[in-house]
Amino acid sequence: MKKLIVAMTMGLGLLSSTALAQSAWTGGDDQPTSPLACDATPAVAVAKPYDGGEPAGAPDRAGKKITVVDVPKLIGIGYFNATTKGILDAAAELGNVDAKTDGPTKANIDEQITFLDNYITSGVDGILFAANDPVAIAPVLKKALSKGINVVGYDANSTPDARQWFVNQAEFNGIAKSLVDNLAKEIGEDGAFAIVTSTFTTPNQARWIAEMGAYAANCHPKMKWLETVEAQEDNTLSFNQATTLINKYGDELKGIVGMTSVATPASAEAVTQAKLCGKVAVVGLATPNAMKPYVKADCVKSVVLWNPVDLGYAAMHVLRAVADGTLKAGATSVKAGKLGDLQVINGSEILLGAPYTFTKENIDGFDF
Amino acid sequence: MSRLLKHESILAILTVLALAILAMQSDKFFTTDNLLNQGRLMSEVGLVALAMTFVIVTGGIDLSVGSILGLTAILLGVFWKNVGLPLPVAIGLAVACGSLAGFVNGLIITRFRVPPLIATLATLALYRGLAEGISEARSVRGYPEWFFFLGQGDILGIPVQLCLLVIAAITAGVILARTPFGRATYAIGANETAAHFSGIRVNATKLWIYTAAGFLASIAAVIFVSRVTTTRSDMGTGLELDVITGVVLGGTSIFGGKGTIIGTALGLILIQALKNGLSLSGVKGDGTIVVIGVVLIVAILASAIFDRNKGG
Amino acid sequence: MTDVVMSSRGLQRSSLRRFVGNYGQELVVLLTIVLLFVVVGSYNPRFLSETNMNSIFSGNAYIAVAAIGMSLVIISGHIDVSVGSMIGVIATMAGTLAVSGYPVWVAWLVPVVFSVVVNASVGALVAYMRIPSIVVTLGMLSVLKGGLISATGGAWITDMPPAFMISQWRIFGIGTPVYFMVVLTLLAALYMRFSGFGRSIYAVGGNMEAARAAGLNPERTVVGVFALHGLFAGLAGLLFATQLQVIQSTVPPNLELTVITASVIGGVSILGGTGTVIGSTFAAILFATIGSALIFLNVSAYWLRSVLGLMILATVLVDMIRRRRST
Repeated sequence: MKKLIVAMTMGLGLLSSTALAQSAWTGGDDQPTSPLACDATPAVAVAKPYDGGEPAGAPDRAGKKITVVDVPKLIGIGYFNATTKGILDAAAELGNVDAKTDGPTKANIDEQITFLDNYITSGVDGILFAANDPVAIAPVLKKALSKGINVVGYDANSTPDARQWFVNQAEFNGIAKSLVDNLAKEIGEDGAFAIVTSTFTTPNQARWIAEMGAYAANCHPKMKWLETVEAQEDNTLSFNQATTLINKYGDELKGIVGMTSVATPASAEAVTQAKLCGKVAVVGLATPNAMKPYVKADCVKSVVLWNPVDLGYAAMHVLRAVADGTLKAGATSVKAGKLGDLQVINGSEILLGAPYTFTKENIDGFDF
Repeated sequence: MSRLLKHESILAILTVLALAILAMQSDKFFTTDNLLNQGRLMSEVGLVALAMTFVIVTGGIDLSVGSILGLTAILLGVFWKNVGLPLPVAIGLAVACGSLAGFVNGLIITRFRVPPLIATLATLALYRGLAEGISEARSVRGYPEWFFFLGQGDILGIPVQLCLLVIAAITAGVILARTPFGRATYAIGANETAAHFSGIRVNATKLWIYTAAGFLASIAAVIFVSRVTTTRSDMGTGLELDVITGVVLGGTSIFGGKGTIIGTALGLILIQALKNGLSLSGVKGDGTIVVIGVVLIVAILASAIFDRNKGG
Repeated sequence: MTDVVMSSRGLQRSSLRRFVGNYGQELVVLLTIVLLFVVVGSYNPRFLSETNMNSIFSGNAYIAVAAIGMSLVIISGHIDVSVGSMIGVIATMAGTLAVSGYPVWVAWLVPVVFSVVVNASVGALVAYMRIPSIVVTLGMLSVLKGGLISATGGAWITDMPPAFMISQWRIFGIGTPVYFMVVLTLLAALYMRFSGFGRSIYAVGGNMEAARAAGLNPERTVVGVFALHGLFAGLAGLLFATQLQVIQSTVPPNLELTVITASVIGGVSILGGTGTVIGSTFAAILFATIGSALIFLNVSAYWLRSVLGLMILATVLVDMIRRRRST
């Protein structure tokens, strides 16, 4: 009996100590931020010399049929289903590309590297990737470059020298500005909000959150950040976490920001099931299909995203241009099929464009 | 002895068959380059599987090896960057901590008599949690070039970690098959009480084995960090399932008392060959997962049938 | 070991001590739940609000239901590490049938039947071919997971008819999953205690050869146990599928570990032969409570998993100490 009590007290003591131990986790990383201006002044494009990698001894692929593999962070979520669609659309349009998507079922760098390695061995001509970790993926991508394979990234970058080009959906600070401005519009300048993100270790999410913090501090200083919770890429967990946040803060919580295409619909679901539509705003990154029921029900006013189908589409076109040799280091723009001319920024990044806001009026026009 | 080798023979035949079929499906499969590369990629799982063979032969199991790998990786980064120790010291200290983690597993199992499944289920969460907490999601990068030799370099054309794996495998195989320690391991798995009464130091043996599992997992962590040049707290997730599948496929009985290093090696080779060969023949990731699952069930089924026919 | 425990039980004098001795683990778990409610409730009263209680109980009931089946399997001396994948498959199957225009009862029934049949086959492999259950279910895990992704590509299922959404209904303000959990647990507990088959599960798990000598048919028992487990997994899958408006056609991560841990923490011994389903239901509730409590207590997100691991360890150690004192 005594031992029982001892064990119990130990457990309790542990709980309370850890509770007071750590500094609050915002979900952001610790790299420098560069918030945009509070008004609609567009970001100044920084001209930098080309800093991408180069394949060694790539054969002349101009005009010839090429095999391309796309290895996203993971397969089985709406967002990457959409980028795959874009890639396949572009491949069909180009006519001389054989493309397929293959990847791990969890967002795990160990497995992603193995997938890439296998495809390098099988002798693909081009690789498209969205990295689970920018540094860890570099060695295997450099190996690809050394074998003369063309490498282009999208959505989540690697270190610049491990790939030739990176198609960036939008600048980190641009996304941060869109999200925070939309949030402020819905919850007011002194509202309190919480964030639902994927995991601690996802670089993109961490960057966005850090930028959001910097921008909010400058332009919406009275908005109160309550807490950030992690929810992996799991629907049920995201829902549970969002619900717990709603229960924990009660009336104080005015808005939830979802940082992944899984977290946002799950948060909207949590708000719907808690019968708080209209009282708790849900803002975030998501695919339109997942959000249609909530936007139609007026639970969610706006969904911010770039168009992932366009992102995949652009990436495929960039890869083709690189393989053909029409896109070279030092270029300032590249033609990407029906998207027209895309601008080159930061040396070796290609900007897709401004983030897109889906609302009740336009959401039916999209199917991804 | 011949009974022991029955499963390994079936497995060997299966492996050769698989290799042949895969080689026919893609001409890139059976090249020296590719085979050596596969050896490099399977080294981490391979090292841990050596220790896991001992663990499962004693009738136990260790689900926390993946978490120990992640924890060691994080500690390596923390000791080097945050504490500022020279890299070789940091590596040594991290490996020591990983071995300690394995030792703690052994303590919980022997001293507190917690069944291994539950004990390592709890430490799976605990060690991973420590990795997350200590790292606070920061990755450590920027290691000196010489460090990458371990994970990315070659000795006489053979990947460094593969050399290590082969040496470790031979050592493990000799220990298990030919030394008193190995015999004690089998005895414990066959009948723990009887082993105890015949003078075998059951607890000490188990402690050594679980510590070895932690040790090898931490070596695997160092190799992995060297291979990908960074540390993450989620490294090694799912490693335990890969390792256990390889060991069990290799003929080690989950009830204990039976199993060989050769079997484990064959099991690992078969799985790695499938993962690589199927991908080269155009099968996507999900298809490969299904095939491996089926192969596992079929192989064990075949072995069970042959064992029964022999008159078990 | 079971024999030693059983004989010492006969030696304990008062019936209260005997009750505590038999059901000690279940009581420990229950006490911990109550303790958490008290501590966290005083820290933040919103923890005890109706909506939060509903979230904890209703949102996690499916884990408790799955744990019932898992407990039966473990009591019989086996294990199933593929239950997470199975639930993912069932949920996807049910959702796909529902949106394809089939009557709602078809969408409910077919996946459950599938689960029962597949699990019974696994049981047959284990019982008659003598393949260790961990091996078969390890293989099953891969087959189901890979098969699911292959078949669906991870596409999300939306727009399911409201008549299908079991988990969303409320009776007297409490979500239906709670009723499922309570009723199924009670039924299973009574069945295990008082029915012949229930007692044979304990016997087979405790000592298979002794059970055979006593006239039972262990092989049939094991197949039956796995079939029952398939039933509970199927029901859990339905509850899981209808919780949200969307079904992600992937395997929920770590579900099998959670379910197994719930059974084990709830008092089911991994050695087989002892334990109750009431314990596993309590443990499932405990996990859900801990998950919510840690957020309410502002425990830094970085340390969540270590705290969970420590609590599992603490509970298990306490149980081991308790068992040692009673032998």
